[in-house]
Amino acid sequence: MKRPIALSREELAAQRHLALNRRQFLRGLGACVALPMFESALRPVARAAAAGAAPGALGVTPSGAPLRMAFVYFPNGAHQAHWWPTGEGTNFKLGRTMQPLAGMRDSFQILGGLDHKNATAGNDGAGDHARANATFLTGARARKTDSTDIEVGISVDQVAAQKIGHLTRFSSLELSCDAVRKAGRCDSGYSCAYQYNLSWASPTTPMAPEPNPRLVFERLFGAGARGERQANFKQRQDTQRSLLDFVMEDARSLQRQLGRADREKLDEYLTGVRGIEKRIQRAESFGAVPDPKVETPAGVPSNYGEHMDIMYELLAMAFETDSTRVATLLLAHDGDNRAFPQIGIAEGHHYCSHHRNNEELMNKIADIDLYYMKHFAKFLAKLEEKKDVDGRSILHNSMIVYGCGNSDGNRHTHHNLPIVLAGAGGGTLTPGRFTKVDSRPMSDLFLSMTDRMGVQGLERFGDSSGRLKGV
Amino acid sequence: MLCPHVPLSNGSSFRAAFRLHLLAAALAGTSSLLAGPKPTAAASYHQNVAPILEKYCYDCHGNGVGKGSVSFDEFESDAELLAKRDLWLAALKNVRGGLMPPREEGDEDARPTADEIAKLSHWIKFEAFGLDPANPDPGRVTARRLNRIEYRNTIRDLMGIDFNSEVEFPPDDSGNGFDNNGDVLTVSSLLLEKYLAAAETIVDQAVPKVAKMIRERTASGREFRGNGATGEKLNARNAAKISRTFDVDREDKYRVSIELEARGSFDFDPGHCQLICKIDGEERFVEDIVWCERRTMRHEFELAWKPGKHVVAFEVKPLPPVEAVASAVTGTSGSSSTSSEAGLAATTERRTESGRTRSGPPATSVNMRIASVQVVGPLSPQHWIVPQNHARFFPDGPAPADAAARDAYAEKVLRAFTTRAFRRPLEDARLQQLVRVARDVYLQDGKTFEEGIGRAMMASLASPRFLFRVEDVDPAAAKDAIAPIDEFSLASRLSYFLWSTMPDDELLRLAARGELRKQLRPQVARMLEDPKSQAFIKHFTGQWLQARDVESVPINARVVMGPNAPRNRDGRIEFDGAFRRLMRSETEKYFEHVIREDRSVLELIDSDYTFLNDRLAQHYGVPDVTGEDLRLVKLPADSVRGGILTQGTVLAVTSNPTRTSPVKRGLFILENILGTPPPPAPPNVPDLEESKKEFKGREPKLSEMLAVHRANKLCSSCHERMDPLGLAMENFNALGSWRETEAGQPIEPAGKLVTGEAFADVRELKKVIVRERATDVYRCLTEKLLTYALGRGLEYYDTHTIDDVVDQLSRADGKMSVLLLGVIESAPFQKQRTQPASAASVSLVSHER
Repeated sequence: MKRPIALSREELAAQRHLALNRRQFLRGLGACVALPMFESALRPVARAAAAGAAPGALGVTPSGAPLRMAFVYFPNGAHQAHWWPTGEGTNFKLGRTMQPLAGMRDSFQILGGLDHKNATAGNDGAGDHARANATFLTGARARKTDSTDIEVGISVDQVAAQKIGHLTRFSSLELSCDAVRKAGRCDSGYSCAYQYNLSWASPTTPMAPEPNPRLVFERLFGAGARGERQANFKQRQDTQRSLLDFVMEDARSLQRQLGRADREKLDEYLTGVRGIEKRIQRAESFGAVPDPKVETPAGVPSNYGEHMDIMYELLAMAFETDSTRVATLLLAHDGDNRAFPQIGIAEGHHYCSHHRNNEELMNKIADIDLYYMKHFAKFLAKLEEKKDVDGRSILHNSMIVYGCGNSDGNRHTHHNLPIVLAGAGGGTLTPGRFTKVDSRPMSDLFLSMTDRMGVQGLERFGDSSGRLKGV
Repeated sequence: MLCPHVPLSNGSSFRAAFRLHLLAAALAGTSSLLAGPKPTAAASYHQNVAPILEKYCYDCHGNGVGKGSVSFDEFESDAELLAKRDLWLAALKNVRGGLMPPREEGDEDARPTADEIAKLSHWIKFEAFGLDPANPDPGRVTARRLNRIEYRNTIRDLMGIDFNSEVEFPPDDSGNGFDNNGDVLTVSSLLLEKYLAAAETIVDQAVPKVAKMIRERTASGREFRGNGATGEKLNARNAAKISRTFDVDREDKYRVSIELEARGSFDFDPGHCQLICKIDGEERFVEDIVWCERRTMRHEFELAWKPGKHVVAFEVKPLPPVEAVASAVTGTSGSSSTSSEAGLAATTERRTESGRTRSGPPATSVNMRIASVQVVGPLSPQHWIVPQNHARFFPDGPAPADAAARDAYAEKVLRAFTTRAFRRPLEDARLQQLVRVARDVYLQDGKTFEEGIGRAMMASLASPRFLFRVEDVDPAAAKDAIAPIDEFSLASRLSYFLWSTMPDDELLRLAARGELRKQLRPQVARMLEDPKSQAFIKHFTGQWLQARDVESVPINARVVMGPNAPRNRDGRIEFDGAFRRLMRSETEKYFEHVIREDRSVLELIDSDYTFLNDRLAQHYGVPDVTGEDLRLVKLPADSVRGGILTQGTVLAVTSNPTRTSPVKRGLFILENILGTPPPPAPPNVPDLEESKKEFKGREPKLSEMLAVHRANKLCSSCHERMDPLGLAMENFNALGSWRETEAGQPIEPAGKLVTGEAFADVRELKKVIVRERATDVYRCLTEKLLTYALGRGLEYYDTHTIDDVVDQLSRADGKMSVLLLGVIESAPFQKQRTQPASAASVSLVSHER
């Protein structure tokens, strides 16, 4: 190709402009591939030394590998008859719902007898779904309001994230498979915020979860095709830093002119800006971003099962690459009424859960529970396959709570919650059991988990009464 | 707040508001204008109100009886009595709505007279609440973050590109039934991160990075045609000649880049051909094509062209089949190499298009396609063109070379941009800061002026001044406790209310000259005529009537419609996405009609028309509608249709996946039409299933079970209000289709409103609502619209504002324009409390907990 000999600045820029356009075009195409199954070819970039660490050290297992915690929420309770195993301790027989976990009995424990009394009606009347959701990780009672003054409590994942978040590129990850929200009102006078968020950074600040697999992936690993991501990630970060200085000052100058309520909105904004600044600084201290050898996933799949699989997969990748050690995944908000045509169920989940002891509906609800469990089992199997820096599996070095804030969806009860605790917490948990306790707050389990994460000086959490021993 | 919660379960915000008032009164001497009990309130209570309450209410709410935890004679002091704003608000609502005192058989005359009701409401509004009708307390709206929809529309109008915020941003929470509520539109670190990334992406796409560029035209294979063939897909066995013409208007050099792709089936195919390219009749290259899995070919020519038409043509010449696997032909030919990126991209594209891999062995083939033909030029710098969108942001063309002049231009460009982006002029110090952001970039080597401005624009799009709607009061009145919002704020309120987007230039110009208020009515009329007002129709009906949900509500057409389910052309049962959108359009067009033709809002409930096309009409059983276009159809005299309650949208969103839900439907009417919702069900409600026992083994109808359920005292007070309304609509199945029977038994739609009016079926129900409960409809709709317009929940001090609009509506036969203007001209829309009032409310509330 012939060119004029000396190109002016403008000309050079014009050339670059063309090249850039072309690249963006290609990049755009690369972004819409369906996510294939990931090969386990990612190398963990764990910063924790594999040499061993002091007991209770921050965010690590006794062997020094990263210790992760995740909370997965399924909606509308569990069909009691099929959920609970028979027997007790190590001598138990799985019920129908947990059959998909049969192959890995030694990797999880079933916890019976945990309660969320703050999800019960109390003086607040109807709204068990909103409360089940809001209380699940907070152990707190949600203020009954559909208006301005939402308040519940900080969630356990955020308690941990605020303490150990600096160890990883992302302090926590909030995921959801609820891509579409209902218009108008939510459950019985409760703000929708209670039902669509699991994670709360403060009693009044929900952490909006991300339902789009592509965006989760790009946030973790950068946008674009394989090989381009690291550069894109860095470039974006550089630009962002230059913007942050300006907007920070802008927010402050604006804040001076405003009244109190508006100032608080701006406070939210400033907190957010500082959060990003910190994250960028932190990210830089971790060196290059891992570049998974997979295509960027497409947007939200129309098949719900696929959507769950991809979100689980992203969660597994985030743990494997040690991008974060704290995560929540809201499979669907409590009260969700989606139908499951893929397993022949035309009625909505919420409708079925109020089965009124109708045999057919009870069977359907059990089938839905089983469907959810199958996907969770796949996720656990994946974590079991992936090897961590200390040679153990990622699952071994994790604490994964799978559960719901409603126990019996038919009656809206919140005691004896259906909870599975998977993983061995790096050897600090004793899986392979059906562990029954005598009516203890779920918050006690949370304290036992934050202890293991190395969170110091947390005396109480939510409605806790102490530590849950013997898990 | 007013519409949904009549009962006392939700007093916290009233408490908050009350404390806030006390504090404001204590702190600010000017706050006497804000609402608060009148000094005479207690005395006038004992004199005028207590006797009425004693006469009608004490049976249940006095003399030691405290039904629903309400008793009117156990206040410890007058102060406590006056502090119970939530109680008085509920009382007002219940008495005016005819719900209290409850109606009993043969007791029709023993109800409060109109005069007594007027006395009571006067006391509540003007004494207990202390509202000043001459200068109503407008409350205060928190700075609102743009929600996803507003963000997308604002970017469209500001930047000229479509940014799909519904994919890129997490869903917004909603409060008080709408997703534009300032208090629940929170900001998280994650969201801010997304705003930053979005700012970058948007500016990258929208703002040119150079002042001049070489013109570039790209034609796809589809644009090459001849004898029925296109360049999209060519086959080695089929001879073809295709071409496309490029017009050029300057004599100069042009670069023509051609990208071709050959692709074989998975299994070997012996097809063989030549692909010949001619430009203006002259042969430029010949490619020999045999089977290969995939091959990309690129050719580039620099040609001197004269003005006129130039033809790029391709010819496929089939050759005798080859015999062996031509494994030697891999990789590339031509002047440049295959890009692995391009390969990846193309694979990707194919996989996305098909969605899944096809099963079964396909027929073998050797295919080719013209991937692209690009004509770049004229190449000489003097012929370069101004990039698209350049004039939009850089009105004076390229930047001057002189440094000072360039900085001055930067300031000019950014001043114009920020005035639009921030919807008001930016103070000078901040503008200079922004110019520095731009200069820091464009002074760097290899960066253009445009890139610098682009960076400053990114900063603007990430600024809280863009992301939030920050309002200010008219500076002339800033010292008063209540002041009109300034005209820029008003421009934004109008545009986000009626357009869900930023104010246009005319609104900003009027605001800058201080003439917007003077021209309010003509401007509102202009805005409603603008196509952008579709946003109001879509988002208001989408949330008020939940029309948004009809596209996703899980309804199983197979179960609901049975074997008669209509099928679409693919043989699938209808009520797919397209059909659902059709229903939603009906609702939107219907609402739009009432606005555009300035009809009575009561026509939303009952009318002799609706919007149909052939499919929808068939589904509804309306005869003689043909054609695909959704249009106004006058209904037959005896038709049950007409009015939103009989539209597929409302009927479907209030149904369960396999059946109707009379309770949901009843609740929908109470909440969204009559504005008198029952409180949420109490804890420990007995199961509906319990009532089955009454039927001794026989399978009861849903309506029968509900009847038994209603007989239970705990359930009756609310279900007596909901069930008859929902049961009147039982003739419509879960998809809104008409039926005479349910489970083989005839449907019995007759019933009675809790206020006593009887109806035989849904036709009469609509008439009863319009005739007897018009005021309730006016009030409910006013509350919904005001909530949406303000972006905040309603409070006790809004009571009179609402009453005022309702009065105007009653006098004007419910004209839609009166409602819209009533809301727009109301105090809470036009005014704002000035700063101090909000001072300590939040901390007070949180300490209290």
